[in-house]
Amino acid sequence: MISFVLRRLASAVPTLFIVVTISFFLMRFAPGGPFNLERPLPPQTMANLMATYHLDQPLWSQYVSYIGNAVRGDFGPSYVYKDNTVAELIGKGLPYSMELGFYALLLALFGGVLAGTIAALRQNSALDFLIMSVSTVGVTVPNFVVGPVLTLVFAITLSWLPAGSWGDGSLRFLILPMIALALPQLAVFARLTRGSMIEALHTDHIRTARAYGLPARTVVITHAMRAAMLPVVSYLAPAAAALLTGSAVVETIFTIPGVGRYFVLGAINRDYTLVMGTVVLIAIFVIVFNLLVDILYGLLDPRVRHD
Amino acid sequence: MNDSRETILAVRDLKVTFTTPDGDVQAVKGIDLDIKAGETLAVVGESGSGKSQTMMGIMGLLAGNGRVAGSAKYRGQELVGLPLKALNKVRGAKITMIFQEPMTSLDPLYTIGRQIAEPIVQHRGGTFSQARARVLELLELVGIPDPKRRIDSYPHEMSGGQRQRVMIAMALANDPDILIADEPTTALDVTIQAQILDLLNSLQAKFGMAVVLITHDLGIVKHFASRVAVMRRGEVVETGTTADIFERPQADYTKMLLAAEPHGRKASPAETAPVMLEGRNVSVDYATGGGLFGKKAGVFRAVDGVNIRLKEGQTIGIVGESGSGKSTLGRALLRLIPSSGRYQFGATNISDFGRSAMRPLRRQLQLVFQDPYGSLSPRQTVGEIITEGLYVHEPQLSRAERDKRAIEALKEVRLDPAARNRYPHEFSGGQRQRIAIARAIILKPKVVILDEPTSALDRSVQGQVIDLLRDLQKTHGLSYIFISHDLSVIKAMSDYVVVMKNGKVVEEGDTDAIFEAPRENYTQTLMNAAFTA
Repeated sequence: MISFVLRRLASAVPTLFIVVTISFFLMRFAPGGPFNLERPLPPQTMANLMATYHLDQPLWSQYVSYIGNAVRGDFGPSYVYKDNTVAELIGKGLPYSMELGFYALLLALFGGVLAGTIAALRQNSALDFLIMSVSTVGVTVPNFVVGPVLTLVFAITLSWLPAGSWGDGSLRFLILPMIALALPQLAVFARLTRGSMIEALHTDHIRTARAYGLPARTVVITHAMRAAMLPVVSYLAPAAAALLTGSAVVETIFTIPGVGRYFVLGAINRDYTLVMGTVVLIAIFVIVFNLLVDILYGLLDPRVRHD
Repeated sequence: MNDSRETILAVRDLKVTFTTPDGDVQAVKGIDLDIKAGETLAVVGESGSGKSQTMMGIMGLLAGNGRVAGSAKYRGQELVGLPLKALNKVRGAKITMIFQEPMTSLDPLYTIGRQIAEPIVQHRGGTFSQARARVLELLELVGIPDPKRRIDSYPHEMSGGQRQRVMIAMALANDPDILIADEPTTALDVTIQAQILDLLNSLQAKFGMAVVLITHDLGIVKHFASRVAVMRRGEVVETGTTADIFERPQADYTKMLLAAEPHGRKASPAETAPVMLEGRNVSVDYATGGGLFGKKAGVFRAVDGVNIRLKEGQTIGIVGESGSGKSTLGRALLRLIPSSGRYQFGATNISDFGRSAMRPLRRQLQLVFQDPYGSLSPRQTVGEIITEGLYVHEPQLSRAERDKRAIEALKEVRLDPAARNRYPHEFSGGQRQRIAIARAIILKPKVVILDEPTSALDRSVQGQVIDLLRDLQKTHGLSYIFISHDLSVIKAMSDYVVVMKNGKVVEEGDTDAIFEAPRENYTQTLMNAAFTA
């Protein structure tokens, strides 16, 4: 087990390196730069800025010094939010994104699994049809539509909930963004659960459990559910990484001061260091959650246990 | 015989119906059966006879689209239509079941100890740790070695035979009145089969429960059952004591089933017959483990230094249990997998032939697989399936000529030529195997390797396929390598037999010599398991 974790962490190093390298060069090949504003700067100012940030040096030497600094945890200053380093920006925004994402993940996971299980147990009934239709809507309608609609109905028309901002961080403020963030993932979880649950209910060992007089609840929860959770758990890693690192759309609509915005803003502004910082952040989340999920998977399924 | 015994399960006018998109299908058409205390009743029939569905119906285990009607009274209590709560007090306690598929009938996610304990806790109360002592006792009883250690094993850590023993332990846990065994040994090797049946027999003698043995295998019936019910197309055609059924069968269908055991012998080819295919010192290795961060890489030798000489018109039967390397050997001889050794096809040394060098020879070296369901593409018509090889080997043929060849091939395997416009799923298992054979012979091959071609088929269908293969051999002068675990089929088909175990040849010789005077212990064990059962 420990050696499994160590091996996986060791293999994360080359993965991260490749991700950083590809995004570094992709970003630089995009036209424009951090200081190409709508009103061009005087050439002298531009040259000064370029020299200050070492952007006048050859690309490979910039790459080498970026890697060198990154290894020591220094991701450089943001080119656009000039008073802040990238680490400061992410450090400030991440707790907001993670808290919101964590609630959204819980909602998506439990809501999705519950809805999917009910649909599977009532396969081809009206309820099944309803749940699956709603989840199709959840997957297909983008959250830049869901977000404003939720605001319109619950904040403006009904005035039940605040329309946006983190406020005092109480649940009231978080409910709408949480729903907007969770809905597409909830729908995916519901569909996955339904499919794998239906499959699990038709296996031979479920027939065995029924043949031995186990009550329906035990058959479903102890035997079918555990098998049905395996594909759901596999999807948990990308879902968790996506939700916990924030969403540009949802954070913008509900004015949440998280890190999700930085990825898009950074890309638009050619804020090289900020984009690189968020890329590294997302990559680390993906790697860590994949590892956690693999461990969890081993606990659920003895056939893939890591000894 | 046994008529004085009390009837504990009385089945009357039992019907099982399935709702399908094509309308209702009646799988069981109103049957009567009596099961008496302590007896062994065999319910015999071929696939689709409704023998399993009868029991599934009684036990409330039908698929979602199935429903049961009629009456099944267990000691006076009606089971058909019984509410689930009440039914759950009977099943797993008074009436228990073991199934055909030992590999999948246990939950892969729980230890076997916990799974055996589940019905104990359910029906007798108590906790799982209290049930542990009883589970150990049961594991001991069914002959699991080292139960203290094995109790915490997961199903995937056990062999098929051991899993079936675990199922039997589970079935015995609550001292049942009736044990229903649904094809309990069909998925197991012959030697294991015999062990499991012996175990069931001795446990029945010890505990005195009634056993309902559902099977298609008449050999098992003869040896283990006291009474037999023969089923066909959802009806019981004949019931009687085992002796009566075997010695004085009344129904035509029973007579046909008894006669369907493969029979006939094949004469050896002439001494002077030319050698068609020869493999010397054939070995196949598979890598195990490995990978970038994986465990230490190892090598598993699936076939170990085997010599085979196939003459024109000869049939060599290769027999062995699962994992003996017999199928791997067949593929190695056709140069389909990497292997070492010297290979000769006719006058050509093909030892160093790669894919492209082998291609022109492929039409003369054909292969027919076991699974008639998996080996035909469901999205091609039968005509497309059987003519596909012609595109490669005789690309000059026109469309009309190809069609003509397809008609000829289908006629040869005794299928209606109109079949070429239909899809595989419209055919039965036996018909599909004929299609697979047509696909091989349309190329006019010299050598055909038949890998368990009859194993997935019912006995009566098996006999027809064997007859067909024999006729084709005579008409076209084919040479066969016939791979099978089924000794009676090997005996009927081949003139020379090779017995394999763990990748090595244990014994080989002319069929008569092997079957009448096996020299090696292993061959004798195989024979005993297959012919006394």
